[in-house]
Amino acid sequence: MVFSYYWFIFLTPLIAAPIAEIVGKRIKNAAGWIASLAIAISLALSIVLWLSLRGTSTPIHNSYRWFGYIDAGIYVDHLTIIMLLMVSFVSLMIHLFANYYMKDDPRKNLYFAETALFTSGMLGLVMSSNLLEFFLFWELVGLCSYLLIGFWFFKPNASSAAKKAFIVTRVGDLLFIIGLAVLYSTLTAKGVTNPLSIPFIVNHISTIVSDIGAQNLTIIGLLFLGGAAGKSAQFPLHVWIPDSMEGPTTVSALIHAATMVTAGVYLIARILPIYANATYVAPDAVLYIGAFTAVFAGTIGIAVNDIKRILAYSTISQIGYMMAALGMVSTFGDSVIGYSMYHVVVHAVFKALLFMVAAVILLTLMELRDVRKMGGLWRRMPWTITLFFIGSITLAAIPPTAAYFSKDTIIDVAYNFYALHGFAFWALWPWVFLVLGALTTALYTFRMFFLVALGKPRSKLAAEAKDPPKVVLIPLMILAFLSLTLGIIQYRFYDFITPHTIVVSLPLLEKYTPLTMVVVGLIITLALYATTKWQRMNLSRNPLYKLVRAKFFLDALYTRVIAERVILGLSSGVSRIESGFSRSVEGTGKGAMGFGSILRKIENGVVEYYFVFLIAGVAILMLLLEIYGGI
Amino acid sequence: MFILYIFILLIIFAIISLFVKKQRWAVATAESAIILILTVIYALSRFYNYTGGLISTGSYPIDKSIGISFSYGIDGLSVALLFLTTVIMFVAIYMSKVESFDRRFFGLMLFTEVGLYGLLISRNFLFFYVFWEVIIIPVFVMIALFGGEGRERASLKFFVYTQIGSVLLLLSIMTLFAYYGSAYNVFTLNMSTLLNPAFITKEITDKVPFWTDFLLFGFFFAFLVKMPSFPLHSWLPDAYTVSPYPLTIVLSGAISLMGGYGFFGVLMPIAGVISPSVAWFIIGLGIFSLVYFALTAMFQTNTKKMMSYASAASMGFILIAFGDGLIATSINSFTSYAGGIYQILAHGLIMGLVFASLYLIKNRTGTDSNLSVSGLWRDLPYISGFFLAGVMASLGLPGLAGFISEASIVLSSYYVLGFIIFFIIFGMIITASYHVWAVQKTLNGPFTEKLGKLRDANASEILILSFLFILILLLGVYPNLFFAPILSFVKGVV
Repeated sequence: MVFSYYWFIFLTPLIAAPIAEIVGKRIKNAAGWIASLAIAISLALSIVLWLSLRGTSTPIHNSYRWFGYIDAGIYVDHLTIIMLLMVSFVSLMIHLFANYYMKDDPRKNLYFAETALFTSGMLGLVMSSNLLEFFLFWELVGLCSYLLIGFWFFKPNASSAAKKAFIVTRVGDLLFIIGLAVLYSTLTAKGVTNPLSIPFIVNHISTIVSDIGAQNLTIIGLLFLGGAAGKSAQFPLHVWIPDSMEGPTTVSALIHAATMVTAGVYLIARILPIYANATYVAPDAVLYIGAFTAVFAGTIGIAVNDIKRILAYSTISQIGYMMAALGMVSTFGDSVIGYSMYHVVVHAVFKALLFMVAAVILLTLMELRDVRKMGGLWRRMPWTITLFFIGSITLAAIPPTAAYFSKDTIIDVAYNFYALHGFAFWALWPWVFLVLGALTTALYTFRMFFLVALGKPRSKLAAEAKDPPKVVLIPLMILAFLSLTLGIIQYRFYDFITPHTIVVSLPLLEKYTPLTMVVVGLIITLALYATTKWQRMNLSRNPLYKLVRAKFFLDALYTRVIAERVILGLSSGVSRIESGFSRSVEGTGKGAMGFGSILRKIENGVVEYYFVFLIAGVAILMLLLEIYGGI
Repeated sequence: MFILYIFILLIIFAIISLFVKKQRWAVATAESAIILILTVIYALSRFYNYTGGLISTGSYPIDKSIGISFSYGIDGLSVALLFLTTVIMFVAIYMSKVESFDRRFFGLMLFTEVGLYGLLISRNFLFFYVFWEVIIIPVFVMIALFGGEGRERASLKFFVYTQIGSVLLLLSIMTLFAYYGSAYNVFTLNMSTLLNPAFITKEITDKVPFWTDFLLFGFFFAFLVKMPSFPLHSWLPDAYTVSPYPLTIVLSGAISLMGGYGFFGVLMPIAGVISPSVAWFIIGLGIFSLVYFALTAMFQTNTKKMMSYASAASMGFILIAFGDGLIATSINSFTSYAGGIYQILAHGLIMGLVFASLYLIKNRTGTDSNLSVSGLWRDLPYISGFFLAGVMASLGLPGLAGFISEASIVLSSYYVLGFIIFFIIFGMIITASYHVWAVQKTLNGPFTEKLGKLRDANASEILILSFLFILILLLGVYPNLFFAPILSFVKGVV
């Protein structure tokens, strides 16, 4: 059983992608169904794999030599299975819905080919047995993201957003590859012949530590964090996600909310032993960056008016929670994988739901994305907005929705982290950030929800909004159901990933702090946005508001200063040098030609001149050798 | 013997093509296809179980007293480059269907292939040198005859640069020859003998340090010109831009292998006499070339010129790989060398795809400028797709051939370079930026309506571009096809 059925988990969508493109060109609606069917097969195979691996903790590992000292193959353990089920399930839901969403697009065959390819890449990434193979799929999903953001290529915004996404994630990817380089070349220098194999890293970390030392592991960990931050949009590489909302909304749901952006979290979870054995700098960097991003992106989310961008900032903020959970590995060991992955799964479910609701809304509002122009939609599209309501309370983590269990556990763990470090001042910050993150979450979520759902319609399009046929809402309903109920499996989920996950308990006051924050946020937004009070607010002169509106000037720093001034300036300088250099070469050439023309009187032309020079040179050389004598 | 028959057949083909008037494109294409197929058959049959060293050797003595003989042989390096040569020549000749060229063009193209083929199979320095020259002359003539605006200047620049390199190459060969003659009283030009690490040892070279430096200088100079590396690159942008597109494909795909072949075929066996400071110099040149050409490329508004600089930039990786391989040890050294050789192969194929698809864009829109066209996706989905694929391969996207080599080089270089590696990464970020920028400018955005309705690639164009793309994909997904023999070759030599 070397080439077994589970290879087809990622091969089926890969094979389906070109078929969808070709068949979809001939038959109108075929592409979407081909892609959906392929992903359904992936989901079915993932379930079979799950059932067969449920009782055992022995991972599946098949690999072949890819090239040089690099293997490629499949490595499946319980962590992988969770991701496989999550990716294939969410992807299937979104594909089914996309059949409706993309129904009028003339190039939908290409769209479905690309999303199928993306799903294949994502499943392959999850199953990879080698970090370089992992990197291959990592870039494949990045490519699909680039192509799909720029799917409507004729929109200048979309194509520049695609470019930005590609370059920013590329910066992270290249940091990742330096991390691989450090790992590879230090290990091979010690004679390891398969240094990037994931099972090797996971199971032989003690050998690696003794070979290369904790110092190197820290460098590797930090560089991998750079890669993960690029892909998972963590501070300071988060700038590409809000722009990527220019793509089709189902793409945002699939790639920029549910699956691809969690690849960075998965990367760190996958090679967690590296962080566990590095010096404290590497895991703490993960913790602080994650926690800071949670509140940072949440704050921007409050001041944004584009419904998709609000969701995008909320995605960045939620991934911050997942990262922060992983960063506490030195204190809680492998248990952090459970905390983090549980939130990954729950987040994928409700964020896919929210984005698809947004897709329905935007479809009926003709891509009018400004929440200030909506309003009163609950009465006009009750089904859709009810689903939106379920998604929103899950995002805000109101009990008993699933996110209450997944997110508040992370916050509780952060408090325990503080307690276990003897209430040291530095260890307090992650908890503070995460709690404030919960407050911002409540603020932007309910602001968005109230502006969309309540009040009177504030535009003609909003007044005419209608529910879509109920059948297309079925995938959304399934996701909504899961958002409400996934909380039940919390502890079984933890134990499935790592047996004997630590269950944290903490004092009553701290236990209910995050929930208090949510209630505070709810009250503030109820007072402001459920009424018309917000319309009388004038914040445009408030310096704090201006700072947040400008996204803390980070985007401006990247595009206006680094890209346009520094890089383009360098480029223009260098190309000026280059053309000057080229001219000076020609000048020298002309001088030589002038000299040559004297010789040409004797020799007639350049070629002869050259041969004379050649023979003379050889003669001189021989003469010198002769004088030099025998060696 | 088989390889020699292919070579003789190729010479006959080249002569035929000089005289065929009617159906000259079909004849030349068929000829290059036959050579390609025969070479692939040869490679598959003889390199199936390759374990390093030279195979398919043979020798015809010509003048025993000074050791001239026509000897040939193939190793893991030359088989990869033979494959590249035959593929690129086939594609270039096939692509020349888009415009009509006269019979001299096809004859000269095939003579270029003769030169490359001969260079790669000959194991005698005299023939090595002769074929080195044979390549240059038809290319020079083709630029001068068929080039665009400024062809006289470009062809002369190309000629002067490469000839200076050739002179130094010849002097170095002669030095090596004299060395051996005076050490053993045997005159030979056999490459395997002269490049034997057991012969060129520190003991011998330390006695004549000047001549060793002279020898290395000549080789380095000749190969760096061909690479090209900063500051010997000035011929490249002119020659690439002025040449007709099929010739640009040959220049960037096949001619560019000469420098790399020199480094890994001639200098790698005598790596023992190259001092670490020279290796660092080579690494420095490589990194500098990479960053410098990338930054220059970024500012070009002519896509053809931009991609010419991109080609030069990715040759920087070969220099880095070579210098790094000299300093590193065991596995890191093997990976680095093998990555460098693989980069020659990958770069050739990728540039072939890039320039072939650009050729079609130029043919349809009538311009190379990336400022005056946009939104080509709408009318030219196939051509745009192939151009995008070529660009993505050129910036080193995993799954495509370029990634295998770049990854090998970067992965193994940290041990030697430490955090100098960030400069390489900086170059790669710049590379990614301007590649994506070029795509955004030409393919995306609203369509330039004044171009009118454009005709997408026809079936035969799609076929040839798919052929190249599938090769690049195959070499990216299943690299061991070539990586394994290359690695065996490297292990056998180092």
